[in-house]
Formats: sequence, C-alpha cells, structure tokens
Amino acid sequence: MGVIFLSVMYRAWSRFFKCYYLKILNTLNSRRKMGEGKFMIVFDNVNKYFGHFHVLKDINLTINQGEVVVIIGPSGSGKSTLLRCINRLEAISSGSLTVNGVPIHDKTTDINKLRRGIGMVFQHFYLYPHKTVLENITLAPIKVLGKSENEAIKTAEFYLEKVGIQDKANAYPAQLSGGQQQRVAIARGLAMEPEIMLFDEPTSALDPEMIGEVLDVMKKLANEGMTMAVVTHEMGFAKEVADRIVFMDEGRILEEAIPAEFYVNPREERARIFLSRILNH
Amino acid sequence: MDFSILTDNFGLYLEGFKNTIIASVIALVSSFFLGVIVAVMRISPVKVLNWLGTGYVEFFRNIPVLIITFFFYFGLASIGIELDGLKAGTTALSIYTSAFIAEAIRAGIMSVPKGQMEAARSSGLSYNQSMRLIILPQAIKIVIPSLGNQFINLVKNSSILGVVAGLDLMYQADLISARAFVTFDVYLFVAMFYLVLTIPLSLGVHYLEKRLARSH
Repeated sequence: MGVIFLSVMYRAWSRFFKCYYLKILNTLNSRRKMGEGKFMIVFDNVNKYFGHFHVLKDINLTINQGEVVVIIGPSGSGKSTLLRCINRLEAISSGSLTVNGVPIHDKTTDINKLRRGIGMVFQHFYLYPHKTVLENITLAPIKVLGKSENEAIKTAEFYLEKVGIQDKANAYPAQLSGGQQQRVAIARGLAMEPEIMLFDEPTSALDPEMIGEVLDVMKKLANEGMTMAVVTHEMGFAKEVADRIVFMDEGRILEEAIPAEFYVNPREERARIFLSRILNH
Repeated sequence: MDFSILTDNFGLYLEGFKNTIIASVIALVSSFFLGVIVAVMRISPVKVLNWLGTGYVEFFRNIPVLIITFFFYFGLASIGIELDGLKAGTTALSIYTSAFIAEAIRAGIMSVPKGQMEAARSSGLSYNQSMRLIILPQAIKIVIPSLGNQFINLVKNSSILGVVAGLDLMYQADLISARAFVTFDVYLFVAMFYLVLTIPLSLGVHYLEKRLARSH
C-alpha cells in the first residue's frame, strides 16, 4: 500500500516538475531576456579596475523590478562605482551587467538610448546653472525624446508639483536651497519617465534640515513602485523603504539582507563594526 | 601737435579705420568659432582629433603672426593663389588668434565641474549635445574676461595688415607719413583711432562680465 502511494506521488511529482517547474523557469528566463519581467539589473561576476586598483570584486547582484535596494558601506568600498556602472558612467572590466534586458558592456549597445530609461541623482545635484529650473527639466525630454516644448513643459510641471516646488519653475538653480536643488534634480530624472532611478548619496551634501524633504520625495517614489538603487547612509530611510540592504567593503558585497535583519543582527563582523560606528558617532 | 595732419588726411584715416574694423570683426568672429572647434578637439576623447588640436595650437601660437601673414600673402601667391592684403591679413589674424582662444576656452571647459557632463550624459544626451548645450555655454561664460583680452590683442595685431598692403590704419599711416614727411603726429593719431576701438571693447567686456555674474 505504502509503496504504491509513494510511486504515484513520485510520478505526479516528476510530471509536475517536468511540465510546470521547468516552464516557470523558462518563462522567467525569457522574460529576463525580454527585459519586461522581474530582473531589472543583473550583475554577473562583475569586476572593475581603476588602473591597478581593484574597485569591484566579483559582484553578483540582482535588482528586481519595483525593488528598492540600499547600498551602504564605508567610503572607498566601491558603492558609488557600483551604481555608476549601471548607466555606464564607469565601464566594467569583466563579467556581465544587464540592465532592463540589455547587456550594457556590449559594444553594440546604444548607450544613449539605454540611459533614457535610467534616471540618476548625484550628491552635488549638478543642475545646469545657466538654465532655469524648467529648462533643466525639459532639456532632455526635448532633445533626447523629441517631445514638443509644450508637452515637455507639461511633464515638467507635473513632476515639479510632485516634488513640491512648482513655484520655482523660473528660478535659476543658484537661487534655490540645497534641498530644493536636489528635488529639482529628482524631477529632472523623472521627467524622462525612467524605469530605474539611481541615487548616489543624494542627501550627503545637504544641510540636516533639508534631508527630510528629499527623503520624503524618494519615499513617495518608492511607494509608487519605482525600481531604485540608492547609495545612502540614511538609516531611517533604509529601514522604512528598502526591500534589501547591500553591504559593501573593499569592493566586495559582504552581505545582502532585508533591513530588519541587517540592522538588528548583521551576519558579518565588518558590517557590525560599520553599523556601530555610524550609530555611535 | 599738428592737427592739420589729421584734418588734411581725414579721408585716408577713415578709410584705414574702416578696413581695420572690417578685418577685426571678421577675424573676431572666425577666430572665435575656430577657437571653439579646436578647443573641443583638444579635449575630445578621440585621440586623432586630440593630436590635431594640440598640433594646431602649438604651431600657430608659437610662430610670429607676421610669418603666418606672409604665408597667406606671398606663400600662397607663389603657388598661384593670390589673396589681397586685407584677405591674407584677416585670415592670418583669425588663425593666429584662434590658437589663443582655443587655449582660453579649453581652460574654461576644464573648469566646468565634471559632474555637469555626467549629469547631461546620464540623461541620454550624446557627447556632442552635452558639449554644445551644457558645457560650452558655461565654459565661455567663465572665460569671457580672457576672451576679451584676446579680442583687444586681435584689434591691435590687425596692424599686421599694414605690412601686406591691407589698406588698414597702419597702412594708411605709412602712406601719410611718407607723403608729409611727418612721423610722430601721424602715428599718434593712429594710436587714437585704435583707442577708439579698444577702449569700448574693454568696457563692453567689463559690462558683460558683471551682467553674467549677476545672472547666476
């Protein structure tokens, strides 16, 4: 009796395995190739050198659609470089990096086209000082996406409202506070309607008073399902918004965990030391 | 000082003044555009352009403008291309000045924060678009004072036209002094004509500098 039951179970299982499990795997894989499914950013054994300096060591990291990944680590650990590889501001030395289904290290990849879908926000904002807020935001949609000026202005106004500074549209960047400038920079990125947003220490150059307003915008964005990779030391933000924390040191990813796990009980000794230092400063 | 030199030869002075202005304005515009192109070549990531730009600057900056002028006036004539003094002189002046302008603009481009290019590129703009729309406008604003100096030098250097019968102020002055057997007064009046050009230019640069500083 038992033997018959087991053999039936076995058959059913192997049948299920062949028919469904493999099918599911395949669809996942093909989706990944089409770039419309789960995996937005895939680092596969990526290495990066600056001359002889080994900045990124055997990086394997997958960021899914709609996921918010916060990358932390001591300075010089390679976290900014990792981020900058995603839109090829830095070229990788070996391995493969696929963004939205496109291998970005490939020579035939049209990098300008790929970058349309990846917004980036920098530590020092880098707004164009000779252009007004509105011109800052409409420039790329007009020049890159070929939008008409009216259309671009409408989009810009929509995103300016979203980041809460619609009344500054005609100001020059130098007339704004740091927090306002960074929010304009976020609106500039969003106006291209990207699928991924990269944030490279977006609050590190801000007065403490202004950090909140920028983080609020980022939280809103995360809640709307934007795929985000964020280099930051803002623990409150990471705890509340991040789906995953990636801890880096000396060019390696030492630990990947959900925030609750990482902040309460990091597995790695190095991460423990890092956390105690940033908590007790 | 004998003002009759000025009044008797006013027509010649005016003719020279006119030609000096023509040569200066043409050379100013063309050396500016040439200078921008060479500056962009010098910082281009394409090696060949880089070398060409550097070679251009180092060659033309380090030879006397007189030799470049002679090349266009006598040198080209010897292979059958005949330019009159005004054209040969203006061309030489443009090329000579463009080497200095290229260096000034290159310095300006280098002083624009690297992040400006990165921000522009990461929004999907091409290298050329980023250069034209983002980097150059900022760079030129930064180097306006030194561009102004180059333009003042250019106006003064236009006296090189006098050597190749360019019909400019200097040429007319030579003519007048040979005719009237007076040198000091003739050239003093020429100097005044040059000042009429260069002082407003200098003031204009100051004004622009101030206005641009305020606008951002």
